[in-house]
Amino acid sequence: MSKFAAGPDVELTPEEVSLLMDGELDADRAERACRGLHEVASVQTWVCYHVISDCLRGDGMPTWGISKRFAARLAAEPTVLAPSRARPTPAAVAWAVAATVAAVGVVGWVALTTMPLPPSAIATAQRVDEVRAADLRRPVVNEYLLTHQEYSPTMAIQGVRPYLRAVTADPQDASK
Amino acid sequence: MTAGPRHTLGLRACFGVATLVWASLALADDAIGWLQQAATAAKQLNYAGTLVYSHDGRVETSRVMHMVDATGEHEKLVNLDGPAREVIRNNEQVRCYYPDAKIIRIEPRTYRNAFPSLLPQQLDTLAGYYFFRKAEIARIAGLETQAYIFEPKDGMRYGHKLWADLTSGLLLKAQLMNDRNVPIEQFVFTDIQIGIKIERDTVRPSFRPPPVDWEMRESLPGDVVQQDTGWLVKELPPGFSKIVEGYRTLRGKVAPVAHLVFSDGLVAVSVFVEPMPQAPQLIGLSQQGGINVYSRQLNDHLVTVLGETPGATVRQIAYSVAHR
Repeated sequence: MSKFAAGPDVELTPEEVSLLMDGELDADRAERACRGLHEVASVQTWVCYHVISDCLRGDGMPTWGISKRFAARLAAEPTVLAPSRARPTPAAVAWAVAATVAAVGVVGWVALTTMPLPPSAIATAQRVDEVRAADLRRPVVNEYLLTHQEYSPTMAIQGVRPYLRAVTADPQDASK
Repeated sequence: MTAGPRHTLGLRACFGVATLVWASLALADDAIGWLQQAATAAKQLNYAGTLVYSHDGRVETSRVMHMVDATGEHEKLVNLDGPAREVIRNNEQVRCYYPDAKIIRIEPRTYRNAFPSLLPQQLDTLAGYYFFRKAEIARIAGLETQAYIFEPKDGMRYGHKLWADLTSGLLLKAQLMNDRNVPIEQFVFTDIQIGIKIERDTVRPSFRPPPVDWEMRESLPGDVVQQDTGWLVKELPPGFSKIVEGYRTLRGKVAPVAHLVFSDGLVAVSVFVEPMPQAPQLIGLSQQGGINVYSRQLNDHLVTVLGETPGATVRQIAYSVAHR
């Protein structure tokens, strides 16, 4: 029997959940960690971390009961007794997850490199809200917004009123 | 023996389905008819009023004037708070004046999305993806209005609540609602005069002729080329279909930008694809009022998706953009 055979599911530490999400576990440890997700406490940590990262990215509000449904779906998955090494499913999943989580980091980093901010503001710039507010004021997006506006069906019933979105969006950046 | 009742049941089922189909078509007819009425009123009436635009905890007040003469439609919108920016529309052409930045942007209206032009498609889409219903009678800017609601059937679009003047059909208030039915953006007239005489001069730009040191930024109609760009959206949210595709020459862009527009009849989503700029770009989701923007890098390209839809919709579109 392979070492991937279903053994007792071991509860994961929060660190392990985080490492799994960040794709920092090697294939063996990722396999073990994925099995660990069959434990209710582990799956709750997993879901909790995802809800946090989703909220940070502004991807909407948490949905009630998601951890129960996730656990139920996971329990319904067949247990893989001897997955081939060549099929990097858990690692691929981990990388995909890592990529989404990393997006938060990228937004924060890019904001730091593109926005001329005093040192005191750097801490706040890392907050995603700040980036979101800053984004639409960027001239490129404003250019896009103006271009988009003319195709919006709301023009037909509202005339130029929706142009207010573009005209008021960039108090500082119209000149750029 | 059993054939009789089964037959009856079958007939009833048919009748039931027919009624449902008829009801949804009637609903779509109502919605379309009403939207057309609002569009006609907005196009053909003279009116002047004070418009309050609120979003993201901000409130901005503007003055709006609209008049029609032998040469067509003329509209002027002046920002009353902050810098005195103006939007002037003469039929298809829109000009934005930024006195604080000494810039005039001239936007050619290349495509007029009047409601009748999308009718058959909208009929299906509106009934398929929104519940349309009449809501309350409400008093707005001193006028009696009828409220209408477009409630989305899925999470891929916002809800719309629209209030139309009972006498003229003109839209006096518009709200976008999120999935928790909370308004995220609102346009409302606080006072309005409809059917009044408006002088042509009233709707001309305040900066005329523009001071010589102002910069004119004009994109020419020739800057828009309608053609197949090779870009496509693999997983388009249901109900959206492509209404335009081509290349645009945008100010500040070296290469032409591929531009695709998708609409569900009530709102539009734009997809822009350009070669990845040298300067670092903000990647991810951003929002202002009813507009969500999602940017991502796709190999050597920057994909930006923008529209009056929830973040999930622009994100899904952004992640399913591909090249043939």
